[in-house]
Amino acid sequence: MKVRVDAERCTGHGRCYDLAPEIFDEDEAGHCVLLRAAVPASLETKARVAAENCPEEAIALTD
Amino acid sequence: MTDPEQKPQPSNATEAVNLFAEEVSSCPQPVYRDLVARCPVAHSALGGSKLISRYEDVLWALRNPRIFSSAMDTQLALGTERPMIPQQVDPPAQTRYRKVLDPRFSKKRMREIEPDIRRHAHALIDDVIEAGACDFGRDFAVPLPCTAFLSLMGLPHSELSRFLELKDGIIRPQERMATPDPDAMREIRVQTGRDIYAYFTDVIAERRRNPGDDMISYLLEAEVDGNRLSDEEILDVSFLLILAGLDTVTATLECSVAYLAANPAQRERLVADPSLVPAAIEELMRWETPVTAVPRLVKEDVTLHGVEIRAGEMVSLLIGAANVDDAEFGDAIAVDFDRTRNRHLAFGGGAHRCLGSHLARLELKVALEVWHERVPAYEIPPGETLHFTPGIREVRPFPLVWDVA
Repeated sequence: MKVRVDAERCTGHGRCYDLAPEIFDEDEAGHCVLLRAAVPASLETKARVAAENCPEEAIALTD
Repeated sequence: MTDPEQKPQPSNATEAVNLFAEEVSSCPQPVYRDLVARCPVAHSALGGSKLISRYEDVLWALRNPRIFSSAMDTQLALGTERPMIPQQVDPPAQTRYRKVLDPRFSKKRMREIEPDIRRHAHALIDDVIEAGACDFGRDFAVPLPCTAFLSLMGLPHSELSRFLELKDGIIRPQERMATPDPDAMREIRVQTGRDIYAYFTDVIAERRRNPGDDMISYLLEAEVDGNRLSDEEILDVSFLLILAGLDTVTATLECSVAYLAANPAQRERLVADPSLVPAAIEELMRWETPVTAVPRLVKEDVTLHGVEIRAGEMVSLLIGAANVDDAEFGDAIAVDFDRTRNRHLAFGGGAHRCLGSHLARLELKVALEVWHERVPAYEIPPGETLHFTPGIREVRPFPLVWDVA
């Protein structure tokens, strides 16, 4: 699984790094920073939860 | 063309709804769900605003500040002399202010004050626990966020009562009169607004002489595109912080504990497993949506579900209604702490996403953890009914009782 973040859409809700800190971190302003673009199988569920809880729909997942 | 001086009339036949009725603010979800299902663009029975309720529409409006503007200080009459920064400023100027402010409110930064908030929550409970009864608002939900705010501003906790008076003068002037009177309310707001400007003018002067690690000292040093903020800009940020930072967390704590008092099985789950608290907060924010709506000023004519909304009209984005829209949440009526998909809009969305959302989430988490650790079982005294204030849903009064071991 691959994950992409649209920085233009992110406004810093912080749901992704709350719910999946193995994949997402925050920058100085609290906006999303992607820690790894390739998600190992063990973290796929977490990546999905993060994407589904982003109110800005800024996280895209592809297989 | 619409003449902006002329008060816009509802342009189509939409239904009139009074969301400020007490029975609605105490139990808003059925009214919201009815609007979402039948009348996605209604209008306020009190005049002025169109009401937008569906999740998809509210999110669209929040993300389109060019059409749905936040620049409307005069329309709201909140005692301000200038727009509050950044809330009443549109992008791109708003974006520049947020670049300065967001780092001061990041989750990382807020974590530094967690021990302070935890200590204070314990101290507040120490004062009431032996009594087996308290007013949950007066004794806990009001002072806790106010004290956190004072810490962030570098002000002594002895200023608490003064700050409560200032924010209530703006937010709830009607509570100072027997019968609400619009002129008298405006007068109190204008006077309180002057008091807020004067208070922070003194704080700015003092911090210029003795800078510290507080918000005002930070703003005095901060630069927006290479320019320092003016004193007026710092006042306009401070005005927003006092209005937005105090009442909102109080209301959320009160709505949450009111729900948990009425739903003991859900409360027992939290007591048994405190790691559920963050998910419970998200779900209670969705279900209760204590800050019920956000206003916007429409800048160009739009048609939504066959209803014309004209440039110059005000709209109210009903985030509380959006948060119980089945189209987004499936079984939105179920309060489910295990909900895996929860894109609730209780903190708004788009460019104006609540600046203090990370502070709010931290305060709520600490408050609910500590409260349930110390007072795991409680109830509303039998025979009492809680009443919620409209707009920002606070519980006044909020009697709560528990068994003393």
